[in-house]
Amino acid sequence: MSENKKKRWVMVIDPRKCIDCKACDVACKRENGVEANGDRDTYRNWITSKGVEGTFPYLKQRFEPSQCQHCDNPPCVKVCPTTASRQTPEGLVEIDYKRCIVCAACILACPYDARYKSAQTKVIDKCTFCSHRIAKGKLPACVDTCPTKVRIFGDLNDPDSEVFRLLARHHYRVLQPEQGTKPSLFYIS
Amino acid sequence: MNSIAMNDKMINTRGDMFWVLTAGAFCLVGLAGLLSYLIQGHDAYNIYRQIPWGILISTYVFFAVCCTGLCLVSSLGHVFGFKPFAGIGKRAIAMAIIALLSGFVAIGLELGRPLALIYNMLSPNLSAPIWWMGTLYSIYLVVLLVEFYLMVKGKHRYVGYASLAGFIGGVAANSNLGSVFGFLDARVWWHGPYLPVSIILTAAISGCAITILLFAHRYAREKMPADIERAMEITAQLFAMMLGILLFFHFWMVMTSIYGQVPSQRDAMMIMLNGPLSMSYWGFEVILGMLLPFVLLLLTKGKSLKVAVAASISTLIGFFFMRYNSVVAGQMVPLRDDVEAVGADGLLRYSPSLTELAIVIGTFGLCLALYFAANRVFDLDDRGHH
Repeated sequence: MSENKKKRWVMVIDPRKCIDCKACDVACKRENGVEANGDRDTYRNWITSKGVEGTFPYLKQRFEPSQCQHCDNPPCVKVCPTTASRQTPEGLVEIDYKRCIVCAACILACPYDARYKSAQTKVIDKCTFCSHRIAKGKLPACVDTCPTKVRIFGDLNDPDSEVFRLLARHHYRVLQPEQGTKPSLFYIS
Repeated sequence: MNSIAMNDKMINTRGDMFWVLTAGAFCLVGLAGLLSYLIQGHDAYNIYRQIPWGILISTYVFFAVCCTGLCLVSSLGHVFGFKPFAGIGKRAIAMAIIALLSGFVAIGLELGRPLALIYNMLSPNLSAPIWWMGTLYSIYLVVLLVEFYLMVKGKHRYVGYASLAGFIGGVAANSNLGSVFGFLDARVWWHGPYLPVSIILTAAISGCAITILLFAHRYAREKMPADIERAMEITAQLFAMMLGILLFFHFWMVMTSIYGQVPSQRDAMMIMLNGPLSMSYWGFEVILGMLLPFVLLLLTKGKSLKVAVAASISTLIGFFFMRYNSVVAGQMVPLRDDVEAVGADGLLRYSPSLTELAIVIGTFGLCLALYFAANRVFDLDDRGHH
């Protein structure tokens, strides 16, 4: 693959493997210095319980990890008056903290509830896909730490990448496709 | 009549002393709120991750809408040539400026980092409704100041052009304010063309209500000139007609929201029809804001100023709650199933903190205080040039 080819960072999630251990949440907070201090609104990723399915004794519980979807058509970027929220050429949605006026329009525009006002930085915050780690060739902290390999991260424009092969082999879905946001998180179904 | 002497007299009557003292007390409450905000920041507000817009946003919308409305009513004389309205322009524009400044205070204290607004100019995002709203309202404020200056200086030749610019600026800024909500695809309750359109109608109604109050107060102790009396009568009739149109709009908005059973849209509407905001919706928004003033004005056909004053007060109280209901109900339906802040009914909750309430009271105090100051400094009676 040409080194110059534009990358498109995506995350493939296999929710069937999720055991709700919340290591992703802890790793994210540790890596990014996010101090919740008991505040239940401070988190960049989360796991939703989708409830118990089946009839006894054949029961199973499903979980759905989620976070900022780094949409290809991000509504949060459109509504930001100062371009504090912006999209990189690789498809990452990032926040320039110094430009943020904390009008909260991006919080309301995001259909995934991925953004929040940080009590530490006093501006809007969210998952960055650990862009500082990607720049060093590392995986995002939540991907790196996941014990059951729920999360796979990579470049969708690279046909040799694991994310490319997974999406070629499996049926998958995105969250709230009706919003037209074109998320970069793909859920194997 | 010597206008300065008249204004002194106005301020020194017992009735006006009451209002000036009220304005002062409200400002003090507001300063206490400001102090609390400066010490605690946003922690002093009851807004949180799922409900980031609270009463300060709805208060800003209320004032901004009133500002545009006053400009629309004022333009009836200077732009559209309704002769009886020629005499109300200066007072209405003064109040429009004051209302906008009061609104700016409310939103300035809602923004987490108002100083970063410099990036509105340094790195503008032309696809953001908030950028357009902020920019248009800032330009609009300048236009209003120029219009008022021309009126004060008696440069009547240019007032018509300034009024036209004010009219266009007011409609543009106000409809963009509606689009701040209407363009949020993720919030089905707000999304769509209803808010940008209906907000202009509610602005015109608010403008009528405030104009009636301003002139009823101005001529409380002396005979109202015939042209002003006629202007008030027409304003009251327009007020009634537009309330009728608003009731019609509103009925179909409600029906559209509940008919299709679209989850978030229906849920938000039901919050107001039969949920946590039902008292605020039925009691204030519907009855005080629309039905009662509509009936009062219809019964008197706009000919009784006292009834028009009662209708105006009722409408303005109702519209304040209308803004609150709209802003809060649009956020009370959670976007995810597992949000922990929901109550037993599956809805999110918000009620303003004492700091937020104090700041809201302060903005009304500021509005009153600035109006009385303007009354004292300027001759707001617009006469003798047509």
